[in-house]
Amino acid sequence: MRGGAEELASHLCARLNSTPGVIAEVLRVPFSWEPFERLADEIFLNRTLRLSNVDRVIGLKFPAYLIPHHTKVLWLLHQYRQAYDLRDRGESNIPQTPAGEKICQLVRRADAEVFSGCRSIFTLSRVTQERLKRYNGFEGSVLMQPLNYPELFANRGDNGYLFAGGRINPGKRQYLLVEAMAETKSGAKLIVAGPPDTPEDANRLQELVRRLKLEDRVTLDLGYHPVAKIADYVNHARACACLPVDEDSVAYVTMEAASASKPVLTLTDSGGVLQLVVNGETGCVTSPDAKSVAEAIDLLCSDAARSAQMGRATRRLWDSFEVTWPKTIEKLLA
Amino acid sequence: MLFSSYVPFVNGGGRFIVEWLAEKLRERSHEVELAYLPFSDNPKDLLWQMTAFRLVKIDRADRVICFRPPSHLLQHPNKVLWFIHHLRGFYDLWNTDGAPPDTRYYKALRRAIFQADQVGFNEARAVFANSGVVQKRLKKFNDVDSSVLYPPLLDPTAYRNRGYGNEVVYISRLGRYKRQHLLVEAMAHATTAVRVRICGDEPGGVYSEELLRLASKLGVADHVSIENRWISEEEKRDVIGRSLAVAYFPLDEDSYGYPSLEAAHSCKPIITTTDSGGVLEFVVHEHNGVVCDPEPKAVAEALDRLYSDRELVKALGREAAETVEKLHITWDNVIARLLA
Repeated sequence: MRGGAEELASHLCARLNSTPGVIAEVLRVPFSWEPFERLADEIFLNRTLRLSNVDRVIGLKFPAYLIPHHTKVLWLLHQYRQAYDLRDRGESNIPQTPAGEKICQLVRRADAEVFSGCRSIFTLSRVTQERLKRYNGFEGSVLMQPLNYPELFANRGDNGYLFAGGRINPGKRQYLLVEAMAETKSGAKLIVAGPPDTPEDANRLQELVRRLKLEDRVTLDLGYHPVAKIADYVNHARACACLPVDEDSVAYVTMEAASASKPVLTLTDSGGVLQLVVNGETGCVTSPDAKSVAEAIDLLCSDAARSAQMGRATRRLWDSFEVTWPKTIEKLLA
Repeated sequence: MLFSSYVPFVNGGGRFIVEWLAEKLRERSHEVELAYLPFSDNPKDLLWQMTAFRLVKIDRADRVICFRPPSHLLQHPNKVLWFIHHLRGFYDLWNTDGAPPDTRYYKALRRAIFQADQVGFNEARAVFANSGVVQKRLKKFNDVDSSVLYPPLLDPTAYRNRGYGNEVVYISRLGRYKRQHLLVEAMAHATTAVRVRICGDEPGGVYSEELLRLASKLGVADHVSIENRWISEEEKRDVIGRSLAVAYFPLDEDSYGYPSLEAAHSCKPIITTTDSGGVLEFVVHEHNGVVCDPEPKAVAEALDRLYSDRELVKALGREAAETVEKLHITWDNVIARLLA
């Protein structure tokens, strides 16, 4: 399995290696969490590994960040959320039984020990920061993930369409965009481009476009695309959409849009994305229903000047965050 | 899934064998993932770490190939070992300098390691050793039968003969156990105009400083180049391709060593010593190289002999290339056997 975390780790490693005086390697530990009792083994085994010949460890994910080291900095991408907020929401593989409770406490105790022993704690987003505070009682500072290829994303004009990039699955809610398109009045166009998680995710979306007879206004460019192609879509868009459910981070898609000075359409429950999207200033924040989303699409697609103005504001806000690799490396090595 | 242990920031044969195999499997359209876990050889941490490796769960893989200890302790229904060395301090180096002391604690630890290893070996679907040396140790210490499966170079065809110069080259990590100093010392006894080039990586650079001092003390600095740096694959191929011969005489090495293969693919004779262990599985005296006593004078004689007899150099070099074929050192062979 590879995802955003692996991507981030390999970019971080490359950036570290191009920093004078630094040599870095990525350490990945296989992790399996089923059945839930397995978590105890995972905690034990990671705490039992030894790292020699290393001056500093930057921990990213559970359970690998449990590996002991005298100089550990955490850049928290993932705790084991199923022992925290997902469990509270009933979306956990750890059952609400005495045995489940024990395992859950074990995860939290192991985390607490790491958090208290490390040199500093950064979190990838405000959401992760708040979760850390609420569940573990630790303070972390937000250190957002910089764009890996910032130079590729710049405003290259306005071809009038709304663009939605990124992985395609129900949690990213591309279906809601398509449903909303059926209710728009401005004749707006939508391009969705990215890799579906499963063939069913692709089918569902294609089926929806057919059923709503949106073939002429909605383009689905499904599959894994090179970053240059994505940049091309972003750079010529009117606006970008990013509608994840309670996303931890700002999300790459949002950062790319901001870098290209495009306004962003998102939802009130999209989590970290809201750090960059202020309704009416840098984009639109609407409630997660097709009608509201349609209104926002109409607003963005009918007023080019207003969109461009908001796009410039998105870029200014993003720049003010100073989220760049050199700054990030500086903090992680402090 | 390929599973092994590593020491962070140490690059060497133990990592190449894993990464190269991954690449070759992918070239043949196999789906491969690689998992390395760190391993520290501090004796007090050994059992804990062995337990950790034992507890790793890799359930999505059809087959796991394990390399460096303690990765062989992994539990998996379809585990194949391509074993590259034991925890040598507790095996063949036990009771030697640098091995753990012969106390009750370490004797008990040694027993525990033997028992754990036994379990790991017996569970495996097949056990391959990367050399005859390791195969013999598996038999002697663990009573495990294994087959020898020699590791090829990543890209053997990239090595070519580019003529025969006057330089004998030793390209390998710099270190006392690789004994580059023997080559420097030999130069004090050489009577021909033979030259020597030693290059390789040595973090810290203590040994390479010693080599430089040794060369100037012996008055051979004009004929010996010593460079402590990582040289690119391309440069290495070029230097070996133009050389007269390749020197490689580590002390009691486990395997023939990639330098031997690099020489062979470049049709160069290999100069090694009678105590170089696994290198002798590849190099046969006056057949594809020269095997001499680990003495400066004997090495000097070998250098002079090759310098003066270019026909011999060519014949030995040709035979070295043939040896690769005879020992079936190819990725097709390796992959067929690991996946059988």
